[in-house]
Amino acid sequence: MNPVPQAPILEVEALGRRFGAFTALEDVSAVFGKERITAIIGPNGAGKSTLFNLLSGALAPTAGRLRFGGRDMTRVPQARFAHLGIARSYQITNVFPRLTAHENLRTAMQARASRYDFWSRRDALSGLAERADALLADIGLAGRRDRPAASLAHGEQRALEIGIALASDPKLLLLDEPTAGMGPEETKEMVALLRRLGETRTILLVEHKMKMILGLSERILVLHHGRLIADGSPAEIQADREVRRVYLGQSGGYGHA
Amino acid sequence: MQTLDQTVVDAPPGAVKPQRAPRVTAGFSRWRAPLSILALLTLPFLLPSQALAVNVLIYGLYAVGYNLLYGYTGLLSFGHAAFFGTGAYVTGIAIGAYGLHPLLAMGLGTVAASALALTVGAVSIRSRGIYFAMVTLALAQLVYYAALQASSWTGGENGLRGFTVSRIGLGPVSLDILDPQVKYLFVLAFVGAALALISRILASPFGAAIEAIRENETRARACGFDVERSKLLAFVLSGLFCGLSGALSAIHLSIVPLDSLAYHTSGMAVVMTLVGGAGTFFGPFVGALVVLVLEDVFSLWTPHWQLALGTVFILFVLFLPRGLWGSALERLSFRRGQS
Amino acid sequence: MTSAFAALDLELIAMQLFSGVALGAVFVMLALGLSIIFGMLGIVNFAHGNFFMVGAYAGVFVMERTGSFWAALLVGPLMVGALGLLVERFLIRPLAGRSPDDPLLLTFGLGYVLVEGVRILFGSDGLPFATPEELSGVADLGIGYFPIYRLFVVGVVALVLVVLWYGLERTRLGLIVRAGARDPEILRVLGIDIQRLWLWVFGLGIALAALGGVLAAPMRSVNPEMGNVVLGEAFAVTVIGGMGSLMGSVVAGLLVGIVVSMTALVAPEMASIAMFAFMALVLLIRPQGLFGKPGLGV
Repeated sequence: MNPVPQAPILEVEALGRRFGAFTALEDVSAVFGKERITAIIGPNGAGKSTLFNLLSGALAPTAGRLRFGGRDMTRVPQARFAHLGIARSYQITNVFPRLTAHENLRTAMQARASRYDFWSRRDALSGLAERADALLADIGLAGRRDRPAASLAHGEQRALEIGIALASDPKLLLLDEPTAGMGPEETKEMVALLRRLGETRTILLVEHKMKMILGLSERILVLHHGRLIADGSPAEIQADREVRRVYLGQSGGYGHA
Repeated sequence: MQTLDQTVVDAPPGAVKPQRAPRVTAGFSRWRAPLSILALLTLPFLLPSQALAVNVLIYGLYAVGYNLLYGYTGLLSFGHAAFFGTGAYVTGIAIGAYGLHPLLAMGLGTVAASALALTVGAVSIRSRGIYFAMVTLALAQLVYYAALQASSWTGGENGLRGFTVSRIGLGPVSLDILDPQVKYLFVLAFVGAALALISRILASPFGAAIEAIRENETRARACGFDVERSKLLAFVLSGLFCGLSGALSAIHLSIVPLDSLAYHTSGMAVVMTLVGGAGTFFGPFVGALVVLVLEDVFSLWTPHWQLALGTVFILFVLFLPRGLWGSALERLSFRRGQS
Repeated sequence: MTSAFAALDLELIAMQLFSGVALGAVFVMLALGLSIIFGMLGIVNFAHGNFFMVGAYAGVFVMERTGSFWAALLVGPLMVGALGLLVERFLIRPLAGRSPDDPLLLTFGLGYVLVEGVRILFGSDGLPFATPEELSGVADLGIGYFPIYRLFVVGVVALVLVVLWYGLERTRLGLIVRAGARDPEILRVLGIDIQRLWLWVFGLGIALAALGGVLAAPMRSVNPEMGNVVLGEAFAVTVIGGMGSLMGSVVAGLLVGIVVSMTALVAPEMASIAMFAFMALVLLIRPQGLFGKPGLGV
């Protein structure tokens, strides 16, 4: 178990992204590392997905810089992000549908170990199968080992989704609405899982469920119209005037913004 | 999921029963190459002519090579004739014009096809989705016209002739390739080796990587797979095996028709793979068998046998998209799950 | 002496340039149909070249019956367009919701059926298609003499483009088509019957291909295999222009026509290779094509 690093793990410097004439994200700066779980909130279209895509390397920034563990990531291709220790999950379940749960995880783990080996047997690869089994148990899917991902229940697919992100044993975990579409019971289980994961790594998550965020995260970032309008502890964010204005203007309060 | 095939399951939640079934069939994958070779050994006894049996071997390998790209990596190419034809032409030219040993010539043909695949792949891999089919088709047309124009090398419209191989010397032994049985075993030796190799590739970590890309390209990239390089590598491997099948066809026919580079030949790879079952190990052979026997039978009655071919193909797309072998395997694993 | 040669060369180049435009006009017809169908239905029609070929044969058929080229030009494409409607309704529509590869594969199989169907009805050998008398001969355009028929082809294609442009930009239906090409979801929200729209768009695309076939018939030989040759050319043009872009189809069509005929002037044996090499070049520099949006992939 590696302790949560005290030095900044992720440094974001005046980050921005434009799509043609449209500016999706502008001048976002923040340093992450001390807090275990940080939530990013904001109304729809605030730039949360764009920020996530930039942090995970799916998009290249058009302005600013991104540093991970002291290393400049601004022009690094996406596949390298995973190798260096950043992994993400998706809002819409994004698994390998026809592979079994076990094979989903084993394949994701393999992406870091071996990609162009076409001679050895994949299931004999240095303990990956066992590690996949252990991870399967971790996310509560041991009983679903050999079922194709497409045949799992929604909550199980969400867990597998996060399992795939965990497979590369990332230092930084980016979770896009991990509880999307979940009922209260499933949400509770997910929150417990996130708490456990936060003990050993830095987690950034996008969420809409305000109550859950306030209880779970140590720090909250608020995006609005592509800009960072607030950054602080849950208590500070709740007291923030600008944030209240944005949210009250949107839907009349917390809850489902 | 390492069954004999890539069993296809996208049923609604709870509909899939076989909790342990894939583990039962997992051992199958180790035996799929030897089993396939055994099945192919029986072909000459089942088919009316040795020539037809050799054709099934050659086109089956061609379709298997194609399936590596379409069935396992999920890339729909319509230009694989370029690799089949290049393998055949280079083999024929090396024997006819330079008097190379047939085995050496075949090796040269296979290497040439792989090199071409590297070039075509580098241009076409960057175009995604449905674009890819169009680009590969157009690039194959380029190769076709180039061969047509370079008639002093290729014989142009008349095809490449004058390199008949009757005996192949292997050290002290000399194979009489005109003997139908010897020829069949000679071709099967190459096809069998190729199948063993492909089975190994599919069971390897690289095999898992291309399956992941087929299943979900975005996620595979996020997991840390270099999608473009893996695709290119799959493309080259696919071109290699298709080139080998072309080289075998040159030895078999002692002529390389210009048609082996044509759109129709590219289409044959698609038809055979789909009719047999894309993404299954043995399916492409089943497809090649069915299509070639259909041709053999129908062309006795009518010159318009391609009407039947087109109609059958349309029916497969509409009603049996997993192909004959794919559907049979699916039924098999479903029943095993129930019992 | 030298100036006379220069003048001759210039005239020759002008001639070739114009031939290129006429050739390109036919490519424009093909690429437009492909692009409209792709833009709306998300389908790559692999039978497109074969519908072009069927169009040429429909032209032959009508001309034999009526003796009128004008009837052939009008009725031929309508007949083939109607066939396109049937194909959409009974073969393509059942594939809704499946992988985008499936309609592609189906139309590929349909290509075989169309080729063999024509062979059965009209024989395997090519047919002559004479240039209509009122359009034969040459016209003096000041810079040189040009075949009237080629001028006519360019004129017809220009007319079709104007009508299409008007239909797309100035009518309600055009508005719907444009909106739908950008985001089919909008149409669902507006309560528009997408299936019917798709049906007619497919029919229109096929009719355009067939019109191209009739127009090209006097310039190319009419035979059952012509469609497969044309398919590769149409794809090269569409890839160069950018899939789904109508502007791209027009520009790339003319450009490719000119590239091919100019190559024919310099190195005739390279003419058939030129357009594909040109496509490869464009792909290396701009993978999405000249007018295509980046990141397009289904």
